[in-house]
Amino acid sequence: MEASQEEWLPLSMTVDHRLVRSWVRPRHLLSDVLREHAGATSVHIGCGQGVCGACTVVVDGVPARACLMLAVQAEGCRIQTVASLAELEGGPVRPDGLTRLQTAFRQHHALQCGFCTPGLLVSTAVFLSRHDAPTRAAIVDHLNGHLCRCTGYANIIAAIESLAT
Amino acid sequence: MAGREPRLTPSPFRYARPGSLHEAVALLHDPHGDTRILAGGQSLIPQLAQRLVRPRLVLDINHIAGLDHIEPCDGHIRMGALVRQEQARVSSLVRTEIPGLSQALDWVASPVIRERGTVVGNLVANAPGTELPAVAMALGARFVVHDSAGERRVDAADVLGLGRRLAPEALVTHVLWPRNPGCGGFYEVARRLGAAPVVGAMVSVGSAGCQVGLCGVAAVGLACPTVADTIHRRFPAAPEAAEIDRLLARDLSEDRSGPAFGTALVGAEYRRRVAPVVIQRAIARAVAGAGGA
Repeated sequence: MEASQEEWLPLSMTVDHRLVRSWVRPRHLLSDVLREHAGATSVHIGCGQGVCGACTVVVDGVPARACLMLAVQAEGCRIQTVASLAELEGGPVRPDGLTRLQTAFRQHHALQCGFCTPGLLVSTAVFLSRHDAPTRAAIVDHLNGHLCRCTGYANIIAAIESLAT
Repeated sequence: MAGREPRLTPSPFRYARPGSLHEAVALLHDPHGDTRILAGGQSLIPQLAQRLVRPRLVLDINHIAGLDHIEPCDGHIRMGALVRQEQARVSSLVRTEIPGLSQALDWVASPVIRERGTVVGNLVANAPGTELPAVAMALGARFVVHDSAGERRVDAADVLGLGRRLAPEALVTHVLWPRNPGCGGFYEVARRLGAAPVVGAMVSVGSAGCQVGLCGVAAVGLACPTVADTIHRRFPAAPEAAEIDRLLARDLSEDRSGPAFGTALVGAEYRRRVAPVVIQRAIARAVAGAGGA
């Protein structure tokens, strides 16, 4: 099939409660469309193959790799990125503007360059909403889908454990 | 908000989102062929993005109603093509009736991938060395396939085995698992948590006998009936690794398992050597599941 014959399809979705309407080709990936058409630059593109977890967003309440969805599949969907973190955590934002999870990450030095952090925060918020008191083993299993090249994971595990009560 | 045009990683294709099975099958009957089914997309989209596949049409079956159930059906557990791996992993029906599969799902991919990836999609992708094809072949799973001629059933082993493949114009709508209440265990060695297994083994012991599935020793999954017979007789005791090794040699034949399977990182010799120990550990997990010690 020639690129010139490609169809463009209408796409309508909400991203962090904002309605986003655009036109996309079938082969556009959701991760790229979130960045370019929705301004959601927190969606980081690392490996583009679903391994690194940096582009993780929440689609209709379920965490998903944005790089492993076609943008057209998000038609009618409700997307939440790290900009919806407070809502995903379901808890109050502190006076300094940070959520509980952000505060724990800061206190435990759970990030350095920050590339993996938005995806990690989003999926960890959902993880903690489903598990009140996860064991260390459960936290490690959860982190298996997120690559971090800075921290060696020890500080991330400590941050999540501090909230797992 | 208009930004730059998003990157274009896959090659061009048409996209269809049929609302019914009938419509999907009609679209599959494309004279040009070269259609790929999109369910969870966790195997397909990386292949598209790397241009390892260049289909003309991507057929998104996510809007076909009724394919997301796990239900008992004529002595089987019937699982639709849209059942997600996580949904199957936490299903009490799967845990009770297909314990070998339930245990294996703990080891498949990573949690976020399991939320979207489907059981049927993982099986049909049949990536070399992966867990579920070996489990399906050993447990005697069958696929319900739809094509222009109608519905038929095929043994998973006939589609996933060496040199076998599913006809490209066929759509797998369900997988049927024989009910086998009892206990199951899965164990694998991998280079890191969540990576594809080096070698993995499933042992299931239940009312329908004992089955052993092995992945990573051949490019395809293997059922190991000779090993399974001996495990069944001794259960919950486990045979010595050396004995499993001898039995396993009888289950590995050139026509079923092909030439020795190895990769640049992990050679065939290590895979073959570690397999009996991996099977022993899967037995231990099945025993733990049976409430024994």
